[in-house]
Amino acid sequence: MTIPPSIGVYICHCGGNISDTVDVAKVKEAITKSHGVKICETYDYMCSKPGQDMIERDINEHKLNRVVVASCSPRMHLDTFRRAVKRARLNPYLLDMANIREQCSWVHDDKELATTKATAIIRGMVERARHLEPLEAKKIAVNRDVAVVGGGIAGILASIELADKGYKVYLIERSPSIGGRMAQLSKTFPTLDCSACILTPKMVYVSQHPNIEIIDMAEPIAVNGSPGNYSITVTIRPRYVDKERCISCGECARVCPVKKPSEHEEGLTQEKSIFLPFKQAVPNAYVIDRDLCLWFNKGVCRVCERFCKGKAIVFDQKEEIRELKVGAVVVCTGYQQLDPRLSKEIFGGLDLFGQYGFGLHPDVVTNLQFERLMLQGIHRPSSNNPPKKVAFALCVGSRMDQGVQYCCKIGCMNAIKQALLLLKAVPDAEPWIFYTDIRAHGKGYEEFYSNARAHNVKFIRGRVAEVVPNGDSLILRAEDTILSRQVEEEFDLVVLSPALLPNEGSAELSKMLGIDLGLDSFFLEKHHKLRPVDTKREGVYLAGCALGPKDIRETTIETMATASKVTTFLGKGELSVSPEIAHILPERCNACEECVKYCPTKAIESTPSGVVINSISCTGCGICVARCPTEAIDLKHSTDAQLIAQIQGTCTGEGDRPLIIAFLERTTAYGSADLAGQTRVSYAGSVRIIAVPSTGRVSLRHLLHAFASDADGVILIEGDDSPFQEDQVREHVNNMKKELGRFGVESLRVASTTTTLPQYDKVVNLFQTFHERISKMKRIPPEKRQKIAEALAGSGSA
Amino acid sequence: MKMPGGDKILDCIQCGVCAGSCHARFAMDYSPMQILKMVHLGLRREVLSSSTIWICASCYTCASRCPRSLDIPAIMSGLKNVAMRTNVPAPVALKPIFHRQFTEIIGRYGRMHEPELKMRLMKKTNPFEILQNASFGVRMFRKGKVRLRPSRIGSSTHFSEIFRNASNEERRR
Repeated sequence: MTIPPSIGVYICHCGGNISDTVDVAKVKEAITKSHGVKICETYDYMCSKPGQDMIERDINEHKLNRVVVASCSPRMHLDTFRRAVKRARLNPYLLDMANIREQCSWVHDDKELATTKATAIIRGMVERARHLEPLEAKKIAVNRDVAVVGGGIAGILASIELADKGYKVYLIERSPSIGGRMAQLSKTFPTLDCSACILTPKMVYVSQHPNIEIIDMAEPIAVNGSPGNYSITVTIRPRYVDKERCISCGECARVCPVKKPSEHEEGLTQEKSIFLPFKQAVPNAYVIDRDLCLWFNKGVCRVCERFCKGKAIVFDQKEEIRELKVGAVVVCTGYQQLDPRLSKEIFGGLDLFGQYGFGLHPDVVTNLQFERLMLQGIHRPSSNNPPKKVAFALCVGSRMDQGVQYCCKIGCMNAIKQALLLLKAVPDAEPWIFYTDIRAHGKGYEEFYSNARAHNVKFIRGRVAEVVPNGDSLILRAEDTILSRQVEEEFDLVVLSPALLPNEGSAELSKMLGIDLGLDSFFLEKHHKLRPVDTKREGVYLAGCALGPKDIRETTIETMATASKVTTFLGKGELSVSPEIAHILPERCNACEECVKYCPTKAIESTPSGVVINSISCTGCGICVARCPTEAIDLKHSTDAQLIAQIQGTCTGEGDRPLIIAFLERTTAYGSADLAGQTRVSYAGSVRIIAVPSTGRVSLRHLLHAFASDADGVILIEGDDSPFQEDQVREHVNNMKKELGRFGVESLRVASTTTTLPQYDKVVNLFQTFHERISKMKRIPPEKRQKIAEALAGSGSA
Repeated sequence: MKMPGGDKILDCIQCGVCAGSCHARFAMDYSPMQILKMVHLGLRREVLSSSTIWICASCYTCASRCPRSLDIPAIMSGLKNVAMRTNVPAPVALKPIFHRQFTEIIGRYGRMHEPELKMRLMKKTNPFEILQNASFGVRMFRKGKVRLRPSRIGSSTHFSEIFRNASNEERRR
């Protein structure tokens, strides 16, 4: 390097979050002495304006050419500080961050330990900083079309918002009509406006919008490409009815001999096997249920075809595959209700079937079925008489220890709404609401609750204990916990508020898109507060109940936010691509094509003029770098020199021994360790974490460098969503273990695993058990370390 | 909180399913839900002197329905044990006596002998009941519902040994 490094180190107190556990003055003293460190400062909040100003000022005054900020996780503030150094005209890639909060002060209580560990982490970063190189982001053009998956209210509103802004939208809907759950509702709380009246105009608007194409009866089966340029493969199931020719006269359904329970009516009424999902369906065309149609099953009938005036029935329609090229994807896949009859299978042992009598008596219904009963003209399913005494059982399957832990969020308000609607339809009705806690959190909800009390709706504070069929009626038992008295009442109708679950296929879709699900199995946002509709993958966004249970108003707000994020992402028409990618050193490459084999994104190609790496497709995972037998590939911003320097820096200095170096894949695994910190779980202080693009980037050489410089054990943790998959990690680690044997290092000194982001307990457990294992083993003797170092020096010069 | 199931008491959301499900609720002074809250609040005297902990029949209806998976009968029997060891007076005289006589009989024969249990209970609580129930007992005997002699298991000494060891263990703790 021509200009010697002049490094500025800034240690953040984080208002006590760091300085309460880490003696920052002592760290400063140690770091100031490090070679190349020109200036070392500590400050209360480095991320604040004065903190950032300090860095900017020092870069200019002290002619700093490298900056290390020791504070929170780079996942939190890397961009903040990169912008700060950029303002001082320093290349942002000449800055790096040492994570001494999530991975140090928040996971250790012992001040001395935390202080030495923080010093080591910073020293590692300082050593790495010495080798940092300026990099420039590349610009690529993006496709401005958007795919919206799911045509419920969230998908409809997101599509309209984007289409009105001039973006072309493909609205992909699984069922024969858009509309979703909202199309099944009678009225909406707390305003009691008619659901169909506010929804169906939007559905029509979508169908007529020049910028929106509805692709119904379709599901994505594969997603390829990169942010800004995705390619989604969808299968379109045959409808067996020509949408253009069908005038929905209903003649076909009139003559069709096969009946089935109507999905739209929640199984309360029957429809034919050629049916219109509901009157206002969009597209407004009939559809044949292939599983029940006599022609498809027995080869007879085709009566509908004979009676169809528009000649719209097409029995030989085939499944179609379409490829959509889009820049961004919006996931609006919504929810499904827990079927109390299936609870035992889904949650193992949780028997809501017996407890609530659902399925045992026709007058025990779900709240969605009650919506349909209201629209059909309120009656008991067992007879055509209107119900008089109706019980609403809240929290059916929600807020459980096993099973669904979260609140369904809509049950309380929905029960209050239904009680009021019942009173309107049957003035002498007697609605009873059995609740655990009434949650009236939204705008106008508390007033709505008051309104229900004023209308003499009976609120009993106690979860329903059991519902027992008693001939024509139902006996319900519960404790009135306010009077501390058991209630046993006879009811005409019992309405359950089942738990809400993510929609079917959410897990598969998350895999296709490469995004995470949370512990509740709903799609996981990038940040709970600040990135609530983003996913961890650029260009993939979320809205509505795909993220978790919520009401219509909240869903609407979310779709607006999502549409805004999409336009921010695609609006500029171009995208900057990370410069942190692999590159070939042609003078060393012998064109063995080993890298071509291992590249997970197919970014490496062998051409007549040599092996080349596509800079847009390359995700910078670094797997090829570790596999290259001639060391002819290096990775920008995670070069061999940088990584080795960081390992050596992190291993030196005093502190607790044994010493364990943990290489964590920088997004998911590293994020998981951050999560452990955020949860304040503590683990062995011997573990020091180094972020790597993927554990496939780590080669034998790096392990040997760690062992040569005082480490006693090495952990490698990969994110489970990484292109470097579990079996590949295992194979890679096993190979390295075998090689380590040649240097006399026991294979027990290396451990590896894969983790999802929320599974921080898995990460912490591995840290803890591995620490115990290494503590029981003897330390590697200095002579052996010396030998390894000599071997490394020998190969390096060769 | 250190008794079986006790660590989960903080998980209770006071929904009342246990109380609503309890078949013996009518005879209790506090509902099971209230007992859980009282344990949480540390109302030791009120809990240990409640009839609820003695009336609980361990039928497990509450536990099978508890949304938070609390083992309420185990908590109740833990509380019974604590109540036996302390001097807090039990409100229902019958209950502690019942448990003591019950275990004594099991300890002796290895099996339950109902007529003896009933006799013992009546002797301890209200001897006049013996006269009142005499004809009922004779009718039961005639129909072969009860036997005069207790049936024993193979070696009832083993059983009493288990009891002895358990109480020694208890004392040591």
